[in-house]
Amino acid sequence: MKTINFAIDLGTTNSLIAKYDDGNVKIYNNPLGLKQTLPSCIAFRGNRTVIGDKALDYLEKDAENICMLFKRKMGTQDTYFVPSIDKELSPIELSSLILKELKNFVNDEESLNSIVITIPASFDTIQSNATKKAGYMAGFKEVVLLQEPIAACLAFANTSAVEVKEKQHWIVYDFGGGTFDVALVEVNDRELKVTDNLGDNYLGGADFDNLIVENLIVPFIEEKLNLTNLWKDLKSKTTHFKGLYFEFLKIAEEAKKELSHYEETEVEIDIDIKGENFYEQFIIKREQFENLISLKVEQTITFIQDVIKNNQLLNSQIDRVILIGGSTYVPLIKKRISEAIGVEVNSTIDPTSAVVLGAAYYAGSKPATVLENEKEKDTVIENTLDFKLFYEQNTRDLEELITGKINSDGASSFRIMRKDGGYDSGVKLLEDGGFSEFVPLLEGRLNVFKIQLLNSAHDVVKVIDTITVNQGSYNVQGQPLPNDICMEVDDIDASTTRLEKVFTKGSILPLKKKIYKTASKTILQQSKSNLIINIIEGKSKGLPSSGLSIGYIEIFGKDLEEDLIKGTDIEIEIEVTESRDLKINVFLQSCDQEFKNVFSESERAISISKINMEINTILGDVEALIQTNNSEENFEYSHQLETIRVGLIETQIAGSLINEDDVSDAKFQLDDRKRKLIQDFDDLTRNKLIANEIETYNDTKSSLEYHLNIEGNERFQEKYGRIIKNEREVINSGNKYLIRAKIKELDELYDSVIQSSDENFISYFLNLKFCTEFSNQRRADKLFKQGDEALEKQDYKSLRHIVYGLSALLPDYEKEKQKSFKDDSRTGLG
Amino acid sequence: MTEIINQIFALDLKMKKENNDSANRYLDRIYYEFESMGFQIVNPVGQSYRNEMTDVDANILGELNKKSKITKVLKPVIYHLENNETKLLQKGIVIVE
Repeated sequence: MKTINFAIDLGTTNSLIAKYDDGNVKIYNNPLGLKQTLPSCIAFRGNRTVIGDKALDYLEKDAENICMLFKRKMGTQDTYFVPSIDKELSPIELSSLILKELKNFVNDEESLNSIVITIPASFDTIQSNATKKAGYMAGFKEVVLLQEPIAACLAFANTSAVEVKEKQHWIVYDFGGGTFDVALVEVNDRELKVTDNLGDNYLGGADFDNLIVENLIVPFIEEKLNLTNLWKDLKSKTTHFKGLYFEFLKIAEEAKKELSHYEETEVEIDIDIKGENFYEQFIIKREQFENLISLKVEQTITFIQDVIKNNQLLNSQIDRVILIGGSTYVPLIKKRISEAIGVEVNSTIDPTSAVVLGAAYYAGSKPATVLENEKEKDTVIENTLDFKLFYEQNTRDLEELITGKINSDGASSFRIMRKDGGYDSGVKLLEDGGFSEFVPLLEGRLNVFKIQLLNSAHDVVKVIDTITVNQGSYNVQGQPLPNDICMEVDDIDASTTRLEKVFTKGSILPLKKKIYKTASKTILQQSKSNLIINIIEGKSKGLPSSGLSIGYIEIFGKDLEEDLIKGTDIEIEIEVTESRDLKINVFLQSCDQEFKNVFSESERAISISKINMEINTILGDVEALIQTNNSEENFEYSHQLETIRVGLIETQIAGSLINEDDVSDAKFQLDDRKRKLIQDFDDLTRNKLIANEIETYNDTKSSLEYHLNIEGNERFQEKYGRIIKNEREVINSGNKYLIRAKIKELDELYDSVIQSSDENFISYFLNLKFCTEFSNQRRADKLFKQGDEALEKQDYKSLRHIVYGLSALLPDYEKEKQKSFKDDSRTGLG
Repeated sequence: MTEIINQIFALDLKMKKENNDSANRYLDRIYYEFESMGFQIVNPVGQSYRNEMTDVDANILGELNKKSKITKVLKPVIYHLENNETKLLQKGIVIVE
């Protein structure tokens, strides 16, 4: 059996839609906002129709073209004349537009034929039928009505598991933003029935906010600034106090919310009034607030007492009061009702969504009588809808023009929405079978749009949701970067330096970015130690020395006003202008000192000592590789390496003949030569190195997996999953530093797995027996003997310590390498 | 998190109003950290206001027309990037004149 499942709370001021799904209720969010509620308000702006929050914008300017509160007119012959479209609209037509907008909240793939719509308990047959008609007009094939107080009781009953065996009387107290209703509901084990109701259409929570402004905020300011008549002036159309009324209402609303939770709240007034800044704070106590609103609250209590009295009941015959509506968050309300009626007051359900929640429970139990056979008609139109769209997929502008041409009579209007919720064109009429619309873009993001095409009855006949506009990227007019721009930073783990990408190749100039680093070494004042900012143009995956240094700043101890301490922040701002000037701005937080430098092609700084240092580092690697390849009889490869080695040494010798302050272009030639040689080396070795790293990665992974599958090690699985989550990206990056970092993470996990159990040290111990490089063989032999004994006694704890002892006797290659990565070979940027 | 961003934003406005830019560097850093956590904070002050902007709640003074501008921002617009999808996290609260 298929049930209706969907429900709508079609409210006077706000509406909601929800769905019952297998015991749970989901209340849909407005895709264009963050709220579940849709203000029941429509603005007609000539060829554009705006529904919901944004319709309220026109309230001041264009009130005659705004329709709201039309629920109060349901079932009457009253119509709304809308001058901007020169048309009379009935409350039914207006309600149907709200219902259609709510349909939009639901995903496109859901078919929505049957619906439960809630109505006030006070609605008569004509009003009820009018609501039904609005439902059919909105495209629903089946509309079932449910009274709001009943829905609230259902929400309460379904969420609190109350069992009712005998007849009970419940009161539903509904205090919203603008209206107040009270209903008496009869409940027994089989049914819920509204027996009576009363209400006031002009009493709501907004009155509380106004009371705070009028009686607390305004007198405070009047006293401080010696003003009179401020309250009247604030609300006047020709006011001098532009906007203050709205600001104060917001402050009052916040204060009201705070006072629902706390005994007092501090109100901060920070305004510009008569050209002067006014900044003061004051405290509002809950007691003050309660005194203000007590008259309004007492009015509502009288309504409850009347409804009880009118039905010849006594207070004691009321079993429970259920509170709904946003204003019932105020504690005084709950307190006063329990004092006055003397019964349990329940405020456990969310007062804003209670009605739609209860209605959805009802919809979940109500069989749907209409089957899904109506979809075909829509599909036919959709298939014949032929359209063309024009727009730039990439732009640097903050607005983009989307133009569409629709070759069909099936659509008469369109609507464009940005999927992040930041833009909605509203429903607009097509002109000459097409549209042109400027849409705002979110900076630096991929902006995704959805276009709906609608027929004359505002039904959606086609959804196009493949429109994406990338803000901030490639544009024919802009000048793209030909290479990555990178910064050289320390890679302490690998005891070397590496490149960190600042700007990606293809980004459009000008570019500006702030990078935050920490100092990886301490530089004392007057010491010879230095901090190096080296900005490099070239492949970010390559070696630092293979790129072109386009900006180089060295900051020495003597330049510092205070010591630069390791671990403190370094802020580096890098800017590349349209004319390709490079500006670097370095701020050392611990010294509170700033260094600025602008580089352009003609004043490129190159340091001979830096060239020398780079060559030395690479030379070591080249020589080691030649040795390995020679021993593997890989002579052709080592010959190529040898050529690079000779070139590097020649460059170094040439460098030693130039003074640091040489003004000729010899330095640049040298730097160029060095770069080419290192690039050659890079190209020659990169693929091989990466292949090696990937192999190591896979080995590490499989040995770790072996241990993870052993019983008792399941708890490490989660962490393992986290590490390998982005494995594919890392491997495909071709960046050996990234792969190395991953290997390190795996190694660390491997260590913790192994160390979690003493028994894991058995295989370690046995493997160590194959080692021959112990620094003290005699001591090692002794430990092996002790180990064998421990193994025999199954004393794995001792075995663990023996393994530690043996490992300490092995040479530490990493340490050696780190030792050679001295302070003067580092940039100082961690 | 939105509350923290709102407070920082308010602090920023307050310092700018008092022409106090000594802490700009630290505020920039905080904004940078927010950004690296996927938050995009937009201060639309000075922009022309269009009714189509569903990322702000506007309090409109006088008549809304093509010249209407956002003159004051009480709360910033906050977007959040999650799983490569940008979503509006908080609507801005603005005054339009």
